[in-house]
Amino acid sequence: MSKMFSPIIAAREGLFSLAGTLGKMGIIAHQIGRRLFRLDFDHEEFWRNMYKMGVKSLPIVALTALFTGATMVVQAAPIVQRYGAQQLLGWGAGFGILREVGPVLTALMISGRVGANNTAELGTMTVTEQIDALRALAIDPIAFLIVPRFVAIVLTLFLSTLYADAVALIGAAYAGQALVGVDPSTFYNGLTSGYMGIADVTNGLIKSIIFGIAMGLASCHFGLAVSGGAPGVGRAVNATVVASAAGIFVVDYFVSFILG
Amino acid sequence: MIQIQHLSKTFVHPVLRNVTLRVPAGCLYGLIGPGASGKSVLLKMITALMRPDAGTLHVDGQDVLGLSEIELASFRLKFGMLFQNNALFDSMTVADNVAFPLRRLGQLSETEIAARVRERLSAVSLAEFAERIPSSLSGGQKKRVGVARATITQAPIIFYDEPAAGLDPVTSQKIFDLLRKEQETARTTVIMVSSDVDRLLTVTDRVGMMYRGSLVFDGTTSEAQTSEHAHVKQFIHGLAEGPL
Repeated sequence: MSKMFSPIIAAREGLFSLAGTLGKMGIIAHQIGRRLFRLDFDHEEFWRNMYKMGVKSLPIVALTALFTGATMVVQAAPIVQRYGAQQLLGWGAGFGILREVGPVLTALMISGRVGANNTAELGTMTVTEQIDALRALAIDPIAFLIVPRFVAIVLTLFLSTLYADAVALIGAAYAGQALVGVDPSTFYNGLTSGYMGIADVTNGLIKSIIFGIAMGLASCHFGLAVSGGAPGVGRAVNATVVASAAGIFVVDYFVSFILG
Repeated sequence: MIQIQHLSKTFVHPVLRNVTLRVPAGCLYGLIGPGASGKSVLLKMITALMRPDAGTLHVDGQDVLGLSEIELASFRLKFGMLFQNNALFDSMTVADNVAFPLRRLGQLSETEIAARVRERLSAVSLAEFAERIPSSLSGGQKKRVGVARATITQAPIIFYDEPAAGLDPVTSQKIFDLLRKEQETARTTVIMVSSDVDRLLTVTDRVGMMYRGSLVFDGTTSEAQTSEHAHVKQFIHGLAEGPL
């Protein structure tokens, strides 16, 4: 009898666990919001994280974006050649990159590099009592550690997406020239021909902000919730990567649906 | 003075059971007991890092459990604390770790802070390690940095959680002697948790023993050393036979 119900019980427990995690993330969001409203956070820690998360991610973001743009053209090349639609290559690549591929792939890349690292750092600080030490020193860990990291993650993802969009378009333009013989100026004309609007750019950037919020909350929550020493840190990093990746796709669907 | 009455806390199992304890001002109080007996939890309760399920807690006449989060922040300025794992901040140098509590207080200039840091690091014989990062230090050196940080604000109450854990006997005795000297000089109230009973008892005024979340003994150091209480006798003398 109990075997028959075990999948139902497991599903119920999974739902409770998800609700619990979302609830705790909601509490962290509230705590961050209150301090952000008062601008009560450590600015030095913020700039340190902007450098560590943002500036140091630039090479890997550029590499990913360059090849993503080129891959878009590789996929489109046979159709472009078959229908002689060289003038539309810029539009096609731009539409896909700016609306979807740029924000999503950049978010996944930043999630793996920045989100996981943030959880590992906070988790290590938790198990080595550094968070308790801050509180014992009358320092608010949310204002000192969490808000600067959260804001740095959101800004890093937003700026990285902008940067990745530009690099991916450059990659696509030069791959178009090499593979389909489309001149970069033709590619640029296709991109700016009027088929695309500002909404196609802002759509992707809005997504990047929402991805950043989800990733920042997940990585901070799992980092602060670590228990069980070093293995606990490993489990938390794993949970952050899985939750962030799944969250990015779920959020992507709903934001795409809402923004059209 | 620290006054605890009927303090209880349960996580999955009870970790503190009806603990009543009084630590007089200016006393160096040693808290002993087997692992997982609730010693560290009790320290975290007193510093309001954890809240009990029941009981009362007064520090210098102030009802700690009645304080709001904002009041707690200023209340914690009364304390210095050395954590079991040292809890040094990995991203900062030794000097910055020690200076950190003073910088956050914002009452002294950078010159004054630097002078105080030099004095503290000299007191723990680590003056030449000021620019190193904690991960490059040995266990004993990290402990001493922790001691320097715990004492830099000249807080009237200091907690040391396992100040000699993992140290060799000589370094361990040096740390205990240093802490006693610091306590005598500043007349601070100190609670020290340690498994190194032999050395701990050379420096304490009073001793309490925790066992399974309960305080089973509270008395002077000489009373502890001559106690016939089965748990205390076995633990202090390291006997294999007994209730522990």
